[in-house]
Amino acid sequence: MPVEERQIKAPLLGFADAMEARAVANTAPVPGPELHLLTFVLEREEFGVPVTQVREVIRVSDITRVPQAPAHVRGVANLRGRILAVVELRSRLGLPPADLTPRSRVVVVEVRGRVLGLLVDAVRQVTKVPEASVVPAPEEVISADVDYLRGVARWQSRLIILLDLEKALLPTE
Amino acid sequence: MSGGDENPFGELLQDYVLECLPLAEQVADTFVDLERRWRAGDPADELLGSLAGRLHTVKGNSAMMGLTPAQETAHALEDACGLLRRSSEQRTDPAAALLIAGGGLLVDLVRQASPELDPGPAARYVERVRQWMQSEGPPAADTQAERRRTDRRGGGGGGDKADSVVRVDFRRLDALLEVLGEGLIQHSALGEAYRGLARRSGACEELERLDQTILALEKTLKRLESTLMETRLLPIASVFGRFPRMLRDTAEAEGKRVRLLQSGGETPLDKAVLDRLSEPLLHLVTNAIVHGMEPPDVRRLAGKPEEGTIRLDAAPHAGRVVIRVADDGRGLDEKAIRKKAEALGQELRDDEVVPLRSLIFLPGLSTAERVSRLAGRGVGLDVVAGAIHALGGTIDVETEPGKGTAFTLSLPVTLAIIRSLIVEIDHERFALPMAHVAETVRAEPDAIREINHRGVAQWRGDLIHVADGGAVLGTAAVNRAPRRFYVVMAAGGKRQALLVDRLVGHQDIVVKGLDPALGRPDVVSGTTILGDGRVACILDSVRILEGGRRAG
Repeated sequence: MPVEERQIKAPLLGFADAMEARAVANTAPVPGPELHLLTFVLEREEFGVPVTQVREVIRVSDITRVPQAPAHVRGVANLRGRILAVVELRSRLGLPPADLTPRSRVVVVEVRGRVLGLLVDAVRQVTKVPEASVVPAPEEVISADVDYLRGVARWQSRLIILLDLEKALLPTE
Repeated sequence: MSGGDENPFGELLQDYVLECLPLAEQVADTFVDLERRWRAGDPADELLGSLAGRLHTVKGNSAMMGLTPAQETAHALEDACGLLRRSSEQRTDPAAALLIAGGGLLVDLVRQASPELDPGPAARYVERVRQWMQSEGPPAADTQAERRRTDRRGGGGGGDKADSVVRVDFRRLDALLEVLGEGLIQHSALGEAYRGLARRSGACEELERLDQTILALEKTLKRLESTLMETRLLPIASVFGRFPRMLRDTAEAEGKRVRLLQSGGETPLDKAVLDRLSEPLLHLVTNAIVHGMEPPDVRRLAGKPEEGTIRLDAAPHAGRVVIRVADDGRGLDEKAIRKKAEALGQELRDDEVVPLRSLIFLPGLSTAERVSRLAGRGVGLDVVAGAIHALGGTIDVETEPGKGTAFTLSLPVTLAIIRSLIVEIDHERFALPMAHVAETVRAEPDAIREINHRGVAQWRGDLIHVADGGAVLGTAAVNRAPRRFYVVMAAGGKRQALLVDRLVGHQDIVVKGLDPALGRPDVVSGTTILGDGRVACILDSVRILEGGRRAG
């Protein structure tokens, strides 16, 4: 149950470096099926989630803290009359907390019928990457506890960490 | 004053007072708060923001009833608040005094609700505001002359309407509902006591009978609840019925030709929902006429009938009521809305997922090119959306350029409403169900003593435990503020006081659930959306009281 305790801390930040280190020559674009992603920034890394799971992106409005809520829940917000639980994705991924900035956004996602908000540092873009550009996450950052990384898309000198929202947000309780 | 019997406005005037007097009073109270907060160096932006919708409603309704002095006073206050919202330097004592004077005047004018009032005080006040604004900043966009065009309608009826109207029947229904709520709580306490007893003593015949009786009691209470809920239902026509006249007047004032088609007036809704629905619906219909409809010549050129159509449809759908307000006007200008939203600081990228509906309900978003008497003063759909959300409803919009705009509201048939005390603890707002609030007391410095590391105070001859709200809710560590009051809570024979910073007021709140992602907090039983659109947690007084006893 206490999901936030069993987190990686440093490894995720070193992710890009680790990937760079094992860079291989086959970075040329490969035609074929593509992944349609919404990407956002946390700390220095770019993360991606399937656009099909994204309902909308909203600016951070008032988020009300809920006493005794799990540490990775920032609070609740009013999304057009619905109460939206907003997950502090930084804390969920074991990153240090950060203050809200004008670029902060809430990505509203729907995972297995549940609508949740993800607080991110900034939203970058909606992009397409070839499925073939996705490689498994390097072993350095994968431990038994961290199963919400689907892999890394290496595409046009970018590294996009693919999140498995189901595993990240709905851990088996 | 002349009697109300032959006055066609009589009943409408009564409705007007019932609706506008509380709003005017809130506005007047807020001005007093503003003065205090400004003196403390707090810009109180959110308080200023909370005024716009109320003033707008009072102004619109006063205009509808031909109560020009009230309308002009509300309008002047809107202008003054608008200026103050734009510039924080002007938030001074003289400004607060000006507002407070206007608030008092507005309350008086609304309470008297007579078309025959001496227009002098309002006119003098409007002039005072005008002079103040000229000395303080750029003049308002509209002119006195435009306001003077307001026609005066006849009709007698005066006196203090608020005193003569008592909606006895519905209040009794409300009281019944409250009693029922208490019954339901007592039922669950009984169930808990039974389970404790059963664990201790094991099965016996008396326990079996007790169990059966508790089950039967539950069924009875549920039956009482559904009967009561049905009693509270009224056809939505009682709200729709107010629109034709208002539509005619507004269309006339705007130089437009509009007809109103209605359907589904028989759809039943809880009166509490209906009462809170008329204002946002009025706003949507007014918007449709003022902004949606093109003038007749423009419509003719576009190949449309000169007379525009506004449709008001209601229908039950999946346990809720869906209401559609549709016009066949020019449609929303998506480009203008996106531009305006960007100007408000909403960054938009082409590839960012920002649907129109999440922009159009932004505060301050109004694409009106000009200011008119009834709409378009920067109070936009955010106010409507806020009211609908507070009812537990949703609002959505569809629009097609040149074809028209339709707003779809989905509302619960009945409300899980609880009367609550809204308190502030460490700058956060919480709702405390009134059912368990015994009293609120100002926390004098020496009233609370510490005995055995626990705060205690004298209350009605007894010593009761006084817990710190911030400690109970874990807010103190974040943003500690001084505690000025304590709320004595009582339930099931237990009593305890909770220290809070501020008593914000009483409010009927609509109970919403807790998302499973929030876990199962002990001290929070649900959430609600407050009038300003923010979410507040509803405190579980019973659990807090139990925790207090455990700790002792």
